[in-house]
Amino acid sequence: MAGTVALRPCGDFRTSYGSDQTVFPTRMSLAFCVLGVAALSLAPFVFGKYVLSLLIQIGYLGIAALGLNILVGFTGQISIGHAAFFGFGAFASAFISNKLNVPVFFAIPLAGLATTAVGLLFGVPAARLKGLYLAIATLAAQFILQDFFARAGWFTGGVAGTAAKSFSVFGVEISGDQHYFYVVLAYLVILYLAAANLMRTRDGRALVAVRDHYLSAEMMGINLTKYRTMSFGVSAFYAGIGGALYAHYLGFVSVEGFDILFSIQFLAMIIIGGLGSVMGTLMGTVFMVLLPEVMGGLAKMLSGSAIDRLLSLNEGIVFLREMTIGAVIVLFLIFEPDGLAHRWRQIRAYWKLYPFSH
Amino acid sequence: MRTNTTAAALLLSAGAMLSVAPVATLGQGIPVGHLTDFSGPTADVGGPYGQGVADAIAYINRQGGVGGKKLEAETVDYSYQVPRAIAAYKNWSGRVVAIQGWGTADTEALVGFITKDKIPYYSASYAATLTDPVGGSKSDKATPYNFFYGPTYSDAARGLVQWAAEDWKKKGGQGKGKYVHMGANHPYPNSPKAAAEEYAKELGFEVLAPIQFALTPGDYTAQCLTLKQSGAHYAYLGNTAGSNISVLKACQTVGVQVQFLGNVWGMDENAMKAAGSAANNVVYPVRTSAIWTDKVPGMALMREISKMSDPGGTAYRASHYIAGVCSTLFMKEAMEWAVANGGVTGDNIRKGMYVKQNWTPKGTEGVCKPSTWTAQDHRSNLQFDLYRVEVKGATDGSIGDLIAKGAIQMKRVATIELPRKKEWHGW
Repeated sequence: MAGTVALRPCGDFRTSYGSDQTVFPTRMSLAFCVLGVAALSLAPFVFGKYVLSLLIQIGYLGIAALGLNILVGFTGQISIGHAAFFGFGAFASAFISNKLNVPVFFAIPLAGLATTAVGLLFGVPAARLKGLYLAIATLAAQFILQDFFARAGWFTGGVAGTAAKSFSVFGVEISGDQHYFYVVLAYLVILYLAAANLMRTRDGRALVAVRDHYLSAEMMGINLTKYRTMSFGVSAFYAGIGGALYAHYLGFVSVEGFDILFSIQFLAMIIIGGLGSVMGTLMGTVFMVLLPEVMGGLAKMLSGSAIDRLLSLNEGIVFLREMTIGAVIVLFLIFEPDGLAHRWRQIRAYWKLYPFSH
Repeated sequence: MRTNTTAAALLLSAGAMLSVAPVATLGQGIPVGHLTDFSGPTADVGGPYGQGVADAIAYINRQGGVGGKKLEAETVDYSYQVPRAIAAYKNWSGRVVAIQGWGTADTEALVGFITKDKIPYYSASYAATLTDPVGGSKSDKATPYNFFYGPTYSDAARGLVQWAAEDWKKKGGQGKGKYVHMGANHPYPNSPKAAAEEYAKELGFEVLAPIQFALTPGDYTAQCLTLKQSGAHYAYLGNTAGSNISVLKACQTVGVQVQFLGNVWGMDENAMKAAGSAANNVVYPVRTSAIWTDKVPGMALMREISKMSDPGGTAYRASHYIAGVCSTLFMKEAMEWAVANGGVTGDNIRKGMYVKQNWTPKGTEGVCKPSTWTAQDHRSNLQFDLYRVEVKGATDGSIGDLIAKGAIQMKRVATIELPRKKEWHGW
């Protein structure tokens, strides 16, 4: 798990702390990032409803997954209750905008803060636990929150769920995916930059130190409890913002979406993307969102074809999708344990030195 | 003179055909959304119902569609997950003019969207909260675009309670009979709970604390022991057939002596076969006038429609299948009215639902119950039948055979006719 952020190819020397800590190692990478965001902001004019909905999905899931990566990939903790925090953010934002009549523009960050508080609450006992025990403690958070959602009718509407208003700024309502896309994009860019920056600060480095060797970290004067709890809080904040964006995108929040499978899916995203990698998180999210769609499309193409008839799949063909997703994840863990971010670095290194790599 | 008129009529009709024909070929069809649960916790009954809707749409298209336009149905299996249903809706909005839906939680979640977009929504959820198009009843929201064919969950449960009260008298029960609600903590089983409990109290029952069991099949021995201990006489099963079977079987093992009352989705021919003798004696409401083996005129059309997915015509179709067909055909006739009155828009389809009173779709007489929707009240059916299950011996083999042999029998025990009370509206 450790070390994926620190590895540098040979010959890549740094002469100042500034260049060592920069978010964008070269001008080119900065230009690519700006160009990427600019290209994305053209998406609503280019793509149809379907692609746009996938992009928005990637956006809010990517934000929440980044939160989990800060906790798991950077701090070395584990959480299998991330979906519950995501759900809390969704319900909190709906509650704040519906019941307290706060414009959605403010409700989303407020929901993030409320989720942070809940994350800190569950982080306090969790900060004293490690490994499997921590996993079970976060599992408890998952179940406690899920049960809370189903029973706290005043907050969540109980099992019937609750409607969430569409995004509005000072009375101007922004409805429709085409506009909402920009809201998600803005949050994505800001929160990803914030996370990349966090890792350059003392606090961010403290988190990595806790992950790499908690005993050494403590001897260096890092307060373990403080940083572990903080990591839970930051992770919950990202989950809460992701959940709030999801709530106002869908327009309705219901308790059943935030189960443990969803938590596991977040873990899958960051493992596939690369633990301890900000960009990897986004890659993993893209992968996990697109995989079912691609597989669904393949299954549709297969249905009625010669293979379908040969194996007499019939109705079983839709289940091919689920099975392939499972298989792809297993294969990924075997052949690319460091995630997509690692593969991407290798591709980059290959082209950098092309054609004289070695 | 006579030949002239005939010639003119022929010319006119030819002209009409010519003018219609290009529409039929060039017209883009009528987009319709179809939400169904083929793989989630209610797939046991969602399967036959969804198939009924799909077959009916295929049949309508084979007959030339509506006003010469084919129905372009997009079927989405949403696994009973509300977010997936809403995602599907968002994908459809702006395109579809009507939707054939499914569950209570998702239908209620979509109320705001479809009302805003003016899209008639034919749910398979019969929640009473969906029956008030203007608001002001006990339901807290107006649902002008929600329609469904069948008695509401609440009315069906009231009918069952009414039957239970008579049964209690007939059996010479001493003192107060005890009634208990059983089901998952989910909008669908919860929907009739308050209405039935209040009516049970009114009719002199003692209402016990509800017993919870999940929507998915499992081991419900604990629930049955609680039920046994509570001393209940009548137990309402609020879930769909799959998990109810688990309860019936567990209760049979434990030796519970309770009269079970199933809801519309809680018992059907497939469940009887699966539960075997455990389903014996369950009383449940049926929202069609006939079941598959009945010899009534409308059944011929049902069998034709069934051949869309079963060309051999041998399949036995559970009552849910027939209900799915009825729901789709009601929608089709409202669309036909819309075609003749300004075009197929959501608003016109809605108006089309109000045109007739006590009507059945053409060709379904004796199968689909005569129904009435008005601009003030969407309680379409206040009259329905209660059936009792009788299972004799083993239930191996096909359902059609089992019914033919008499191993599974469904006996009509009562026809309930509830008054259209204002204070019963919306809950």
